Order: sequence, then C-alpha cells, then structure tokens
Amino acid sequence: MSFLFRCENIGKTYGGVVALKDVSLTLESGQVHGLIGPNGAGKSTFIDVVSGRTPGLGRVFFEDREITGISPSAMRRAGISRSFQRTSIFPALTVREQIELANHGAGGGNTGELVEMLGLGAVLDTEAEQISYGQQRLVDLALALVGNPRVLLLDEPAAGLSAAESAVLSGHLEEIAERWNVAVLLVEHDMDVIFRVCKVLTVLASGRFLVQGPPADIRNNPAVIEAYFGSTA
Amino acid sequence: MANQTLAHSFRESPILRPSGLIVLAILTATVVILTATGSRITLSLLAQAAIISILALSVGFLARTADLISFGHAAPFGLGAYGTALLFQHGIPAEVGIWLVLVAVFALFFVIGLVVGKLNGIAFSMLTLALGQFFYVAISKLRAITSGADGLTVSLPRSLFGLPGRTYQTPDGMFIIASVILAALVILIYLFEASRTGRLAIGVRENEERVLFLGYRTKILKAAVFATSATIAGVSGVLFALYQGFVSPEIVHWSFSGNALIMVILGGSLAVWGPVAGALVFFFLREWLSDLTEHWLAVLGVILIAVTVAWPGGITGVAKVLRARISGRERNGGGK
Repeated sequence: MSFLFRCENIGKTYGGVVALKDVSLTLESGQVHGLIGPNGAGKSTFIDVVSGRTPGLGRVFFEDREITGISPSAMRRAGISRSFQRTSIFPALTVREQIELANHGAGGGNTGELVEMLGLGAVLDTEAEQISYGQQRLVDLALALVGNPRVLLLDEPAAGLSAAESAVLSGHLEEIAERWNVAVLLVEHDMDVIFRVCKVLTVLASGRFLVQGPPADIRNNPAVIEAYFGSTA
Repeated sequence: MANQTLAHSFRESPILRPSGLIVLAILTATVVILTATGSRITLSLLAQAAIISILALSVGFLARTADLISFGHAAPFGLGAYGTALLFQHGIPAEVGIWLVLVAVFALFFVIGLVVGKLNGIAFSMLTLALGQFFYVAISKLRAITSGADGLTVSLPRSLFGLPGRTYQTPDGMFIIASVILAALVILIYLFEASRTGRLAIGVRENEERVLFLGYRTKILKAAVFATSATIAGVSGVLFALYQGFVSPEIVHWSFSGNALIMVILGGSLAVWGPVAGALVFFFLREWLSDLTEHWLAVLGVILIAVTVAWPGGITGVAKVLRARISGRERNGGGK
C-alpha cells in the first residue's frame, strides 16, 4: 500500500541515552494521526528527527521518494511543514508581514483563505508581540499552513490554550485535514483535542512504540493506561 | 481577504511617511545653515562626525538587522581608507579605484560572512575582534605596501566624481558630501527594512529556525547583511582617507571599533538613525570633556555606564518612550 508520508525505524540517542528507538508510522492525506505518550516518551524528538531539525536514525519517505536528511528548507518546499512546541513566530513583524513572508518562502498559496479560516483578519496589522497568546498560536499554525503543505507535523499546538481556545483549534485541525486534504501528525497532551480530531493514534512510551489503533481502542488499552498511570488497577 | 490585499498593505517605511520627510527637510536645512554660518573648527568637527557617523551606522545596521555586535568594523573602515590611498598611488582612475575598493570590501566580507554565519552572540563578537586585530597587525607589518606605522599619504586627484579634489579636504565641502552620503545610506537602510528581503532579515534575526522551516535558505542573506554592513564601514573609510589625506594603522585598531560601538550604545539601535545620533553626541561630548579635563575618557566611561544602566536603548530608547507617552496622551485626550 502506498502512503503519502512514511517514517521507518526512527531513532535518536543522546550521549548513550536512547530517546527514541525504531518508531515507524505512516500518514495518509485527509487524516489526523495522533502521536501520544507520557512526558519523555519521545514524541517531540520524533518530529524533530523526521523534520530534519535534529539528526537521528531511520528513513523518511514522501510520496514513495526517500527524503531522509534533506534540509528543513528543502522539506518545506517539498510540501512538508511543521510547528514547534513553543510558539515560533516573529514578534517584531505584523501578522500580515509574517504571513506574507511565509507565503513567499513556501511558494505562494492560500493566505487569504487561511486568514479567514483562523479568524486573524482583525489583527493582521498588529505586531505579533501585541496580540494574545491564543492568537499567537493561530499565527504559528498559519505560518505552518501557508503554501498548501501536503504534510503537517504539529508539536503541541494546544499547549497553553484555554479549553475554549483548544476547542476552536480542534475545529481548525479537522477542517485543515478534511477540506485541504492534508496529512497531519499531531503531538498533543490535551486528550480532548486528540480524541476529537484523530482517526489513528500511535502511542509511545520511553522512546519505544507501544501500540497503534483507532482512538476508541487506545482509550481502553491496558498497556496505554499503564504507560500513563503506572498501573492498570 | 485576498492575497492581493496582503501584497498591497505592507507597512510603510518611516522614511516615506510625512514625519520622516519633515525630519529630512529639517536636517537638510540644518546642514545648509551650519555650512553657511559655522566656524572652521565647528565645521571640521562636523565633517569628522559625519564621516564617523557612517561607520557607526554600519555597526548599528548589523546590530539592528542581525542582532550581531561587531568589535572589528575598524577593519573594513581601514581597508576602505588604505585601499583608496593605495589605488590613488598606483594611478588607477580615482572613481574606478573607489568602486573597486568598495566591491572588494563587500566580496571579502561576504566570504567571511559565509564562514562565520553560524556564530552569534559573544562568539561572533570575539571573532570580529580577532579579525580586526589580524588586519591591524597585517597593515602594521606589511611595510612594503602600507609603510607600516608611518602611514600613507593620500594623493587626491584634481577632480573626483565631478567635484574638485580639494573640496574633499575642506571642512565645509566634506561636511556636505558626508552628510549627503549619510542621509542617502539612512534612507536606503529604511527602504531595505521595508522590503521583503529586509523583513526576511528581521525574521532571521528573531527566529532563524522558523525561517528555515518556512522554506528559506539563510546563509547567503546573513553573509550579505554582514558584507553590506562592512561596505558601509568601507564608505566611511574612503571618506576618511579623502578628508584626512593620510591613513595610519591606528584606524584599524580595535579601539577604533570600540569607539564606533560606544556611539551605537549611546544612540541605541531601536531606530536606524540611532548610531548617527550617538556619533554626534560622542564627538561633541569628547570635545567638551577634553576641554574640561585630561581625564575625559574616564568621564566618558562613567557616562557610558550610566546610559547603559538607565537607558539600555540609548537615545532611540528614550525617543521611543517619549513617543509612546505622547501618543498615549493624545489617545487619552481624544477619548474624552
């Protein structure tokens, strides 16, 4: 079977400590794939290795073409985009300026539609450091989405958001995957977001693959419960 | 909202706003009045201040655009000055020689920028210090070419860029020439910052990793910003050589770079014009303090510490606070 984005045996070692070992997963267009696990499970490390931010082990394929080790800029131009655990925007630029910058870098695309969908119209001419944290997270998401990427790797996009803001974000993620046919890998601690938007979940524990399946199965999986709480009792 | 709206709504450069043009007009009038009424000593001081303002502008440009502090900008300044002196000695047409010098400075520092592009913070500053001292030692020791500590005399041509050669060595002539070049460079930097490339440079300064993940390559841009800054310092060096008619290794010494940095600290780099204001304050403060006491350097040091502690943003920082207060007061007044 052919997948849009495939990661094989991804691994990472920090000075002898294994942070991630032999984790493989595939992403399909129009689907949000959740990557969950307790703190230190290796979720962010996985995205960092796969996106070329950190060197690591394993192989990455996009549309059956191996792209292992290509630079972050080449990866973005190929159609693979990512966000970061901490808000990663340009505080001194206005929202408009940074979206325009992203639009030019990613090769043109969907800025108008994006601004409308994320509700950023009112703050377009405001410097990013002047807008609320929730809006900054949306700008962050906008920067990742400009240029119609085919694959989107999101590292805790709901971190620091209120329940209401997370609910809005969940709606956006569903729309992005379904309407724009984007393959999304979502690393997230907010289980409300995960269970609302993900069609498939992969669970990591201590840097190793634990289990994969639909959210309903994962929710009651004893191994997952033990990984999170230390006991199935 | 359409893409077209985005494209047409770039933030205007401050220099293109009416307030910017008014400031430019006032500065032009000031230069004209000072030239007409100033004493020879005042004009000489102003000419030197205008030349060194360009050096401070180059250091400030790098600090503002790339968040990099250079301790070695005396090197491109000195290369500009020595290059001019040497090419004039070898009978190369003056205008061609000056352009050659500036292109060579850009090319050299572009290559250096490619090599040191990954450095930032204190590592970059120390490397520029070492680089600056390398050029200082090289110029001091290469006696066959540079005459070492004896320095070189600059043989001015009869005519340069359509002006009599002598004009470049008169205080009023050089004051006007340096002021025009300084104003042109300030305007160009403002326009650069308002351009897409300028915003990309600001993006790299603020979050280079994000810029990479937006699909850009940053290495060339960073090297180009460094080289542009060095070339501006080179322009200052060329003007210095033309005005002084003599160049010696002192102008490549790290302490010369240090003075430029003091000007940037005094003026601040929150606005493009900050280092220029800092250079003017530095020159007149130095003149005034050296009349008062032979220990003027110590007094200047105390002033520098006070500025750094009380107003970390220098003159531009104070201006920003004042502007915010005034606009806040206007808003409050308007709301009543």
